[in-house]
Formats: sequence, C-alpha cells, structure tokens
Amino acid sequence: MSAPESGVVRSPQGVGQRVPLIDGASKVTGSAVYTDDLKMPGMLVGKILRSPLPHAKIVSIDTSRAEAMPGVKAIVTGSGDMAKFGVLPISKDEVALAVDRVKYVGDCVAGVAADTEEIAMAAMAAIDVRYEPLRVFDKAEDSLEDIDPGLKINPDTRHASNLHKEVNQNFGDVDAAIAAAAHVASGKFRFVGVTHAFTEPHCVIAHFEPTGRLTIWSATQVPHYLHRDLSAVMEMPMHKVRVVRPMVGGAFGGKSDPFPHEMIASLLSRKTGRPVKILFDREEVFLTNHGRHPTKTSVTVACDENGKLTGLDLDALIDGGAWGSFGVVTTYYNGVLSAGPYDLGNFRYRGRRVYTNKAPCGAMRGHGAVNSRFAFEVLVDELAEKCGLDPAEIRRRNLLTSNTTTLNGFRITSNGTAECIRRVVEASDWDKKRGRLPYGEGIGIACGFYISGSALRINWNKVPQSTAHLKIDMDGGVTVHCLAAEIGQGSDTMLAQCVAEVLGLPIDWVRVCARDTDTDPIDLGSYSSRVTFMAGLAASRAAEVIRQKLCQAASRLTGRPAEGFDTRQCEVVFLPEPEVRVHYLDAVLEAIAGKGALIAKGCYHDAPKMGGDHKGAAAGLSPTYSFQAYVTQTKVDPETGFIKPMKVWAAHDCGKALNPLAVEMQIEGCLHMGLGQAMMESFGYNRMTVSNPNLLDYKIPSALEMPDVEVHIVESNDPEGPFGAKEAGEGPLLPILPSLANAVTDAVGVRFYELPMTPDRVLNAIEKKERAAARTASGKKRTPEESVR
Amino acid sequence: MILSPFQLHRPDSIEAALALAAEHAADADFIGGGTDLMQNYKNRLNAKGNLIALNEVAELRGVSATRIGAMERLSGLADHPIVRRDWPGLAEAITHVASPLIRNQGTIGGNLLVETRCYFFNQTPFWRETKGSCMKAESDECLVIPQKEICYAAYSGDLAPLLGCLGAVLELASPTGRREVPVSEFYQGDGITKNVLGENELVVGIVLPDGARALRAGYRKLRLRDTIDYPEMGVAAAVKLDDSSRITELRAATTAVDVVPQFADYTGTCAGRTIADVLDEVADDLQANAQPKKNTALPVGYRKKMVGVFLRRLLRDLADGKSEGRISAA
Repeated sequence: MSAPESGVVRSPQGVGQRVPLIDGASKVTGSAVYTDDLKMPGMLVGKILRSPLPHAKIVSIDTSRAEAMPGVKAIVTGSGDMAKFGVLPISKDEVALAVDRVKYVGDCVAGVAADTEEIAMAAMAAIDVRYEPLRVFDKAEDSLEDIDPGLKINPDTRHASNLHKEVNQNFGDVDAAIAAAAHVASGKFRFVGVTHAFTEPHCVIAHFEPTGRLTIWSATQVPHYLHRDLSAVMEMPMHKVRVVRPMVGGAFGGKSDPFPHEMIASLLSRKTGRPVKILFDREEVFLTNHGRHPTKTSVTVACDENGKLTGLDLDALIDGGAWGSFGVVTTYYNGVLSAGPYDLGNFRYRGRRVYTNKAPCGAMRGHGAVNSRFAFEVLVDELAEKCGLDPAEIRRRNLLTSNTTTLNGFRITSNGTAECIRRVVEASDWDKKRGRLPYGEGIGIACGFYISGSALRINWNKVPQSTAHLKIDMDGGVTVHCLAAEIGQGSDTMLAQCVAEVLGLPIDWVRVCARDTDTDPIDLGSYSSRVTFMAGLAASRAAEVIRQKLCQAASRLTGRPAEGFDTRQCEVVFLPEPEVRVHYLDAVLEAIAGKGALIAKGCYHDAPKMGGDHKGAAAGLSPTYSFQAYVTQTKVDPETGFIKPMKVWAAHDCGKALNPLAVEMQIEGCLHMGLGQAMMESFGYNRMTVSNPNLLDYKIPSALEMPDVEVHIVESNDPEGPFGAKEAGEGPLLPILPSLANAVTDAVGVRFYELPMTPDRVLNAIEKKERAAARTASGKKRTPEESVR
Repeated sequence: MILSPFQLHRPDSIEAALALAAEHAADADFIGGGTDLMQNYKNRLNAKGNLIALNEVAELRGVSATRIGAMERLSGLADHPIVRRDWPGLAEAITHVASPLIRNQGTIGGNLLVETRCYFFNQTPFWRETKGSCMKAESDECLVIPQKEICYAAYSGDLAPLLGCLGAVLELASPTGRREVPVSEFYQGDGITKNVLGENELVVGIVLPDGARALRAGYRKLRLRDTIDYPEMGVAAAVKLDDSSRITELRAATTAVDVVPQFADYTGTCAGRTIADVLDEVADDLQANAQPKKNTALPVGYRKKMVGVFLRRLLRDLADGKSEGRISAA
C-alpha cells in the first residue's frame, strides 16, 4: 500500500496528517460508553470472594448460609470439570474459580450474584471457606527446587519444580568472546514488578440470553481470545457466544488475557438467566495484575579495543506469579529482543520463568524487553567508559544495518537507528554536554528495538491475523468492520485514516465498528504492537478493492479508461485530464446500481517465511521492527537523592507516521510509563499480600514529574507496512529507563543495577561512592580495583 | 468499594452540631470536606453510624486578619488576599496538601484533624484480613512494632507544623463551653488518642496572633511526587530577625515522623545569633528528635536524615527571604 506521489493530498485527514483521535471528543465530554456505563433490565451485581491465603488447600466451602440470604440469586464455586484456559494454547493453566487449591492472595474462590452490592458483600462474608495452608513459594529461586508434585502450582508442567518455562539459546561462542575481549562489563540487575495502572478498572457484563446465546460486554484488548476461551469454558460453540468490547479506558497489556471474572460473570448469568455485572474495585485490579514480571537479570557484555561488541551473555530469572498468561513469550522476549539494534557478535541466553504464589504477571507495554534492555544499555555505557569512547559513538559503531539478518535469525528490513541517534545527539547538543555538565546534572543516551506484531499467530490455524470488511451504501458513508481493539491507543482512528486515504475522503465519512464478534471479522487484538501494521494493511487492502470499483464506475460515467482514475478529496479524477472528474457520491451510486451496497474485504495473513531453525526460532520474529534512540538530561540532588528529569529528546523510527499527533502521544505516554518504572513504581509484597494495591501507594508519576519531551519522528518507510508504517506504541518505552539511568551516572557518578531509582537508593549510592572516594583519598584502604592499578 | 451506611445530619449552628454529637455519643463523626474521612469509611476504618456535616454552620466560616474559620476550604485560603498578604508561608504550605481537587473540597480544620496514618491501617478490609488487623482498626496489637501499648500511626498533616511555629491557637467548642489550645500543645498521645480534642468537641477556628505577622515562616515536604502524596516527612520553621539579621525568635517543627507533630522552640539557644550560625545545631537537634517508624513508603533512616537536610534548606531560604515559588504573586 503506498501513498500517492508527494504533494498530492487525497484526504485532509489521510496518511501523514495530524488527526485528533476520532473518539477523543466523546471521551473528554464524558459521553463515551464504557462497560460500567451499560445497564440492562434485571441486571444483577456480581462479586468475587477471593483467597486471603497465598497457597492453601480448600478443605471445604459452605455457601448454604449465603444462598439463603434474601436478594442472593446465585453462587458459583470451582469444579474440576471446567475447562482450563489461558491466552497461549501452550500454557492453558487458568481456572475460572479455584479447584481444591488457592494459589495466590486474591485467587477467585466463589462468585456471588445478588440484587445489590451490599447484599453481595454480605453474602461473601457468609460463605464459610476452610483452608489448610500449604508451603508458600515466594522467592523465584525457591521455585527452582524439585518438590512434591502436590506442591506444583501448575501440576501440568513437565518439570519437577515450579519452573514454568526454560529457554536456552546460543549463537556463536560467547565464553571465547568474553575471554578474548578487550573490555568486559557485567552486572546483576534486579527489577521489581510493575503494573499497568490503567484508569478503567476491569468490568464485565455477561448475559445468558433466552435464545440460548451468551453475550458478554467486557473491557478487553483481545475480544477474539476471550471469544475462544469463553466458548471452551462455557462449553458452547463459538457461534453461540458474542463478545462486545465497549470503550476501554486504558489497558497497556493488562486486559490482554481472557480472565476468570469474565468466566464467573458468564457462569452466574447462566445460573440466573439474568445479566450479571462485575466491576472491580482498584484493589482487585492490583490482585489481578498481569503486569511486568519481577526479574533478576545477569548480563555480561564484551567488546574489542575499538568498542565493537563481541558478545552478550544474558540470564533472566523471571517471577511469573501463579498463572502462565503470556509467560512463555515473556521468557523468550527477555532474551531474544536484545538481538537488535546492535550487532552482538556472539549471543547466549538462558531464561527461566517460574511460578510463585503471587498475583499473575503477564504482558505489559514493552513486553519482555524492558528489563533486559535496561541492563544491556547501562552496560554498553560502562563499556564506552572502559574504551574511552563517547556513549553515542560506541552505539553508532555497533548498529545493524537495514536489510540484514540478526544472528538469531530476525529479518531486519527498514532500520532508522542511525538517523535516530543523529537526530537526538544533534538536538540535545550532546557533544557539548556529555561529561561536561556540573556535578548533579547529567545527560544519557540509550537505544531501543521492538517487534511490530508477531510474525506467527498464537493459535496454529489458518485464520488471517487481521481481516477488515468495508461497506458503502447510497449515503456514501464508509463502515469499517474489524475486531482490532481500540484501547485508547488510536486504532479506530488509524483504521479510519487508512480508509480515508485510499478512498480520498474526509475522515468523517468513515465510521469504525470494531467491537462486536457478531459483525466484525477477526483481528487477533491489541497486543504485541501489531494493529497498525496488520489491521492497517487489512483495512487499506479492503479500501483498495472499493477504490477500484469507484474508478470503474467513473470510467463508465465518463467513457475514460478506469486505470487513469484516482480518488481525490471526494472526487474520482481522471488524472490524464484532471477536468474529467466524477463526484464520489455519483461514483458510489453508479457502482451500487442494480448490485446493492459496495462491500469488500482485505486481510493480513502472515509475514513472509523467515527465521532460523533453532528451537524457539519463531519467538520474536516480526514482519518488521521499530527502533529508537533517546537522550535524557536530568538533575540529581546529591543531598536528597531526588532525580528530576529535565528534558528528553526522543527519536523513534515508526516507518511512516500515519498520524504524527498519535505517534507523539504514544511516545509521551511510553515515556511517562517508563519513567514510572525507573523512578518510583514498585509492585511490592508484604508477606505475600500486594503491599500497595491502590493508586495512592502505588506511585505513578504525576504531570509534575514529567520532563519536557521533544519528539523526533524518523521515517524509514517500511517496505511492507501500511504506507510504510510500523509500530509506535511499545518500543518508545524501552530507551527512557536506561537513558535516564545513564544520565544519572553522568550527573553523580553512580551506576544503577536496580529499579526503581528512588531518592533513598540514589542517596545511598552517592554516599557509598563518597565514602569509597574518601577512603581512597586518605590512603587508608584501597578498593581491589585501585590496588591492581 | 462502597461506603458504609450512615445517617447524615446537617446542623446550621455549632450548638446544634454539638447537641447531635452528644445525642449520638460514640457513634458519630463530624465531617468537614470528607476527603480523609470518606476514604476511611470505604475501608471500614472506624466508620460511625452518624455523620454530622458542618457545611451549613456559618460560624465555622470566615477569614479575618487574625482568624480563619475551621470550615474554610484549602483552595480558597491559598488564594485569599488576606492569607497571601499576611501569612504567605501558610498560603504556600497549603499548596503542599494533596492535590488541587482535594484542596477544593478539604478544609483547614479537617486538615489539622487528619486521621493518623500507617501502612498497616490505611488498607482495605480484605488486605487487613490477610494480615491480621492493627490495633487502630479491629485488633489490639500493633503490626508496626508488635506490642499492645502504643499505636505508631503517624500524624501526617501538612499545616499543623507551620501553624504551631506561628503560634496559632485553636478555638474549641464543646457542650460545656469554649476553650483555646495552642496548636503546639494540641497534639498529644499516640496514633489513636492523637490530640486533646474531647469526645464531643469541635474545632471552630484558628487564631493567628498579631505578632506572628513579623515572622518569616515556611514548610518543606518530602514525598515521591510533588502532588497528591501525604508527607513522608515535613518540616516547618518560623523565625524573626532583627535589623542586623540576628534571631529574635525561632521555632521549628516536624510532621509525619512521629505519632504527633513535634514542635521545638529554639529562641532561647539561638537569640542574638544569625541563621547561618545556628543552622547545623538546630537541624541536628530536630533530626535527632525525629522518631519515624517503618510504616510509610520510604525507609526510616532516609526520612530521619531528610529532617536535617530539609530544615537547613528551609532556614537558608527564610534567611534569604526566598519562597518556594509555588504560588504566583498576589
């Protein structure tokens, strides 16, 4: 799909235009309809009784007292007969309600449907559950021990421990590379978990209708996967299940799994025959989590005397919590997404994800790549120091080119990293600042690399990854059907823009229906930064079919050959004689005459065949990759340890900015989220209970903590993306954390191997450094490193 | 999370409010802005069956050169011309409280009476169930330091330290009459007993002594975010300097590092000296007296250390006549 020659504007809101999101006005005026806004006749309130224990056998559940309470309509508990589910077919380990055992504090034990919330809460208090505590798995290391099979959190794994997934990949000879290296940097990094903290809590309404169909309205990123798993758990064929996605108030990966509460609402509705709504309070959102995994990452990076990387050795121990979720993918991504943007020389990765008795972890913006990227980029700076090289220069020396293959077999097509670095180095006045700012001020750089959709589908079938349908009737309005999930990232606007561009229409002629499995063809959902690339191509291809029909209609009306026509600003124009033109509506009427509404479909099926043949070679394969380089300037208060990022120059290669405004918003949002993880966010536990399950104690940065952001969009024009585009929603998160850490190092001379960099930790590090310096200066005691010199 | 059920009463005089309080005895709370109380009611923390709303009591309103009604909203006070002219340190301290939206609703009286806070207390019923509850909630044992005598919930108001340093006095009303208690003597006891306010007693207003107008006063607050958050530590100071920059009065105070705000009067040891001269001795003393406990987000040692750092900075700023610049010129 390509845009017309430069200078020609087919649509005032077409490709490359700054278009406010088409659902923005309804959101800011409060008229947008979210799941909790929906009210159904006879609707009941659903509530979930949750486990107060992290790991325990359920000895008995007595619901009789609760069931006898007036206003209580149904109570459901777990049963071993119910199908397990989960987003990945290779680790379907979740149950709607605990069967025999609870596995984390917050695990779902019983569902209650009642006339009011007050009654539902009273009923929950009246349910008598007897538990027998089991050994609790807290530390990831403990989950590596072989144990009694009865203590396995997921009994279905083939391991004798609570190990969920182990990945071992080896390219070249890393040990030899490290042994022969001129310089080596290594570190043991610790990352606490973080969570999405989206605005809208999970909410679902399930209605088992008199027709025998189940309709479910849910705040989800993945209507299709929910559709599949609901069908399995409810034992209903997919055509009897309808999934509707109302407006979603943020998700960031936190709504990209089918969830127990969706199953529980469905079970309660089946039992009562009435619609049942479950709305989480904020604590339940935290207990449900599925956020970024706590991870211990050991990394060694080696280079030659010129700063050319010769090896990366990476080991990640990943704490998955009680469910599998996307964890198999996470385990791969912690390693394989380090394969760019640098040429590594040699690469070895061991990743292990374990089950623990904690809230499940899953996918979160930048899935799997964020922590390893942080570690890698911090150590690249250390190598630069050892080589006596500028941190920007060592990065430039190691970049992969365009149209190449990484050593683990990723096909790189468009690649704008060098331009990203050039832009931020120049714009930030890097050369004048790095190493030259006064003590307490610093500047740092880091790069990023991310997939733009997964080349292979999660489910092994032949359903295309994305399909779009278009319909135009005599009113001329264009309806786009596609199950791609608008979650605030702008996917509806993107679809509308692609169609408006191809058909040469203002965007208000296009309406997007992307919310209903009854009417909208399958798109796999909003995860892995796939929507712009895949759904954008599907919609553009469908529009192209219609465009040709319009050109043929114009040909019939004017007697000119159809090939000469193109769509331009509500007209179909014969380009060789531009005065020969047909209004769009006249072309539509001609095209539907005697045939009925114009319909067309387009799809994105699969990327071309690619990748190596080693085990796990498919993980991380993407039809194209995004690249980033950020420079961050910060202040660090050496007396209090407070980090105050002042300015970020953020360059991102998104191939082509279909909507520069939306790309900028994504980059700014990524920055905010990444700064949170870097500076203050911590999904902590206190004796196995989430320690801060609310947005007062789980600290996300406020507007006051945000630095000034200068976005540089780099357009490498991807050969396969829609109009050259690739992702912009996740990759831009990666470089902000290490670029800030590297700036802190420049400011106060301490390097960080642990996040978040809270002021107490920063101050500790500074004081430790000062004590060491004082010892050295007084000559009393030398550090081992000093002694060698 | 839904609120616990309660009966709302809307008296229009102090006498009526006090009569309602007496009538419902231990099962009533006064409610000002409710920004603190409602959250605790949602969490079922000592929720009562009766709420006596003070919105319509005219005597609790009003700002004059020497008195602020307890029901004055924080946003309005920070913008009030008299407050900004006469008590700029207070106006600036108010901007440290919570967030703009909460300041629109919250009152100065409510802020002074903000419930003491603790990691183990300010949690949901479910969370408390997983831990065993704390002595300030349903249990009789403290989870901060296991014992049954003292509640370590920290006083976490932003305004009391500054008002105490300014010598402000609280007007209290009860069925038996009125009394006045200096802010610096109001807070007594532990995280449960909190202050000297009687069971059915009400804070009516805050009186600021005329002489305090000559004091330079300020407040500095430690927290991870520059909005929303309660203090992890806060220091206030008020100082009067003579024409040659010699100290004639000096008081300092902390918040959020103990069960009650701690006030210290350094006039006796510092009179006649310059701020630069007394800086270390005052900061070290205030820091040494801080007793933070492990019941907030940041580590105890760090919070204690920051008492000294923040007070030094505040005193230097007061010496230089510098404000934090949090409010634009009146």
